[in-house]
Formats: sequence, C-alpha cells, structure tokens
Amino acid sequence: MQNAIVGSILASVACGVIGSYVVVKRIGYLAGGIAHSVLGGMGIAYYLSRPPIEGALVAALVFAMILGWVSLRLKQQEDTVIGALWAGGMAVGILFISQTPGYNIDLMSFLFGNILMISFDDLFWIAGLDVLILIIVFLFYKQFLAVSFDEEFARLRGMPVERFYLLFLVLVALTVVILIQIVGLILVIALLTLPAAISGHYVRSLNLMMLFATFLGMFFTMGGLAISYHPDLPPGPTIILVAGAFYLLSLVSARFWKKS
Amino acid sequence: MSTDSVIKIKDLHFSYDGPKILEDIEINIRRNEFIGMVGPNGSGKTTLLKIIMGVLTPSKGFVEVLGKPPFQSVKEIGYMPQLTPFSRDFPIRVEDVVLMGRLGKTSRIGFFSKTDKRAAEKSMDDVGVLDLRKRAIGSLSGGQLQRVLIARALTCEPKIMILDEPTANVDMKIEKDIFNLLKQLNANITIIVVTHDIGFISQYINRVACINRTLICHPTSELTGETIENMYGTHMHMVHHHRD
Repeated sequence: MQNAIVGSILASVACGVIGSYVVVKRIGYLAGGIAHSVLGGMGIAYYLSRPPIEGALVAALVFAMILGWVSLRLKQQEDTVIGALWAGGMAVGILFISQTPGYNIDLMSFLFGNILMISFDDLFWIAGLDVLILIIVFLFYKQFLAVSFDEEFARLRGMPVERFYLLFLVLVALTVVILIQIVGLILVIALLTLPAAISGHYVRSLNLMMLFATFLGMFFTMGGLAISYHPDLPPGPTIILVAGAFYLLSLVSARFWKKS
Repeated sequence: MSTDSVIKIKDLHFSYDGPKILEDIEINIRRNEFIGMVGPNGSGKTTLLKIIMGVLTPSKGFVEVLGKPPFQSVKEIGYMPQLTPFSRDFPIRVEDVVLMGRLGKTSRIGFFSKTDKRAAEKSMDDVGVLDLRKRAIGSLSGGQLQRVLIARALTCEPKIMILDEPTANVDMKIEKDIFNLLKQLNANITIIVVTHDIGFISQYINRVACINRTLICHPTSELTGETIENMYGTHMHMVHHHRD
C-alpha cells in the first residue's frame, strides 16, 4: 500500500506536466497509439522473462519515433498509420504472451494496471523517469511552449521545430511507461489527459496548468485507491472513473466560471 | 532616409513542380521603407514572403536579406501572421505570447531572461497593451489580439517587420490605429505589409508592390484614386478564377 501511494504521487508529476502539453497540443490520439502499441514490447519482454517495464520502455520509444516521423512526413495518412500501429503493437504483445508458458495473469495487469502490486524496483524506475522528464522540460520549457502554441511562428524564429516535436514525443513515451504501472495501458490516456483538461478549464498559463494537473492527478489516484480498497475493486478503473466524474463536473461548472 | 538596401531580390522564380507561382521577380527594398504588398488570392504574395523569411527556397534567382541568405537573417525579422493558427482557449497570458518573439535571440536552454522580459515589456508598452499583460489570450478582443501579435513581432527588436493582412478582422477605426502605430514603428524599422485595402493605406506607405506571379512596383506618389482602381482592376481581371 505504501508503494502504491508513493507510486501514484510520482506518476502524477509526469502525468500533470506532460499531460498538459498533450492536451494543449491536441495529440491525445497519438499518445493513445504510443500507449497501446507498448503492449508489443511488454509481451516480448514477458516471453523472454525480462521485466515488462524494460520492454515497455523500448517499445514506447521506438513507436514514438515511428509515429513522430509519420505525423511529420505523411500528414495525410497519420490517422490510419496510428491506428495500424496501435492495433499491430497490441497484437504482437498478445501473441507473445500467449506463447509464454505458465499462467497469463499478467495480461490483465498490463492492460488495466495493478498499482497494489507495484514493486520497489518499479518505484525506482518511475522516480528516475520523472527526474529525466522534469530536467528536459526545465531545459526546454520555452521551446515546448512555443511549439505547442504556434508552430509556424516558432519555425520563423529559427527554431528546429521538428526536433523538438520528436523530443516531446519521447517525453510522452516515458510518461506512458510510468502511467502503465499505475492504471495499465488501456486507461493511460484518461489519466494523461483528464487532470490536465480539468486544470485547463481554470488557469491562464501552462505552468499553472501543469501544477494544478499534478495535484489533481495525485488526488484522483489516491482517491481511487481509497475508494477501491475496502470493496476490493480493481484500483485502475476506479481511479479513471473518479477522474472521469470530476472531468464531467468541471466541464459543466467551467461554463459558469467563464461567464462570471 | 538611408538608401542602403535591406532586401535584394533579383531574377527570382519559384514553382512547386507545376506552373510558375513567381516569375522574374526583382525588387530592392531600402532601409526604413514602408511597402504595401497587394495582389489577388493565389498571386504568390505569401510564397514571396516565405522566400524572404527562408522557409521556401527559390527555384532560381538571387535573394539577400540584410546582406545574408534569408535563413540566416530570419531571426532579425518580426513576423505577424495573417490568421492566428493557435486556439483561443490555449492557457497562456499576453506577456507569455509576446515573450515568444524572443526565441532565436535568447538562450537555448532554461527560461526567459531579465533582458527578454524587459524587451517584451517595452514592445507591449510601444503598442499599448502593457495593461493587458496578465490577461488570457482568449479573453482579448480582435483589435487587442492584433496589437499583441504586433508586440510579439516587435520583441525580437527586428530590423524588418512583415505583416500579413494585420487588419483583416478588425473594423476601420482599429485599422487606422494599427497603421498609425506601424507608421511610428517605421521610423526605425523597414515594414512590409500585405493588404487588400490599397486605397486606405496609400497615405502610410512609400511604395506598392503589386504581385500577380510577376511583380510591379509603384511609388505611392504616382498613385491617384483612378490608377489604384485601374491597377487593382487590371490585376483582378488577369486572374480568371478570382472570387470577388
């Protein structure tokens, strides 16, 4: 339980910071593609009796690069290619898991997460990835802001826009790997976007959006954990439903907030 | 007015694999000139601006901006786009938008410096939006937003400003305010402004560059109401697929 709490706090940091970029840049679908295709890497790692997080990390980075290249070079087919990689990656993962001898209990925890089973090693990974993400964001905060706000203008200021876009997708990939440990890969997209989207209803700057989204992420993950604990519900889906409910509430109340 | 040239274009041609979009363009823009650029939709105005800013490379010909190839001088150009490509609900304050004009001048890593912030303050002050600095970009009126975008273009302390229809979405009064502002800025900055409203801006500009695949330049002193009518009319006539 202690690990679960520390895990949710750590994951919320990446989720708030990178989730805010994903929301303002509107690349939720692309992030979803990365998240789901990661099952391929996890399945292969599982088959080879390696820790799934290693497979997830490699797969997330590879797919982020492929998707980034596709979205820069083949703009027209972007949708189709994301869909193909999304499903293809999952299919590879399921094939490898099916060929692994023994019980396939882990498939469910890959898909829907199992924060209660999170190990000390996992926490170490999550903390490391958090630090890496924060360092990169601190170094290039203004470039990421410019690229997500107005790409054309950023390019005319002589910025290597494409390089920053790819670097940004690497950060998304790292975040996805972290969040998979908490809620599993199917539910990642909700945890990545909902706290940031709620936060975006109320703030006027990206850094506040990130901060507020991080706290919301902590609140949702711990709230979900607490609610699921006694009735023995799976924590991943509970966390997502808590976040989803607050998102709907916020969507309604933000209308009044803006008007007043 | 100094006579050294800031933009020199000679024998320039451009096409994307197909028919020529720009043909045999030649122009010499001097320091602190105020150029109005006119031409029907699809005449190659935006293409020419993109070449000047180094985004597109001409198929043939010579371009030099501030004595350098365009991709090297683009950081010295303040640019204001025609349409705002960003979403109005993006969580960002006016001062953060204006600060983005410092990219290319500021450090590559870390946050914006004190110098950047001072430059942003000065340009917000120059265009009269300093009191809006903490406002969300989505809460501004059309005229306020145009001013903020001019401030953003100014923050890099440009030698040249390029504005693509800066008054397309505002009323006559604001249009007048904005051109008065540009006229003031023109004391130190060469300005190229794309517009359709050639009659209105003739009192502000030195020369009109009429583009329709080719380029013809007229000094404003040669322009009378009638020649403007004829010129624009002729050019409109030459394009058979125009919408107006």
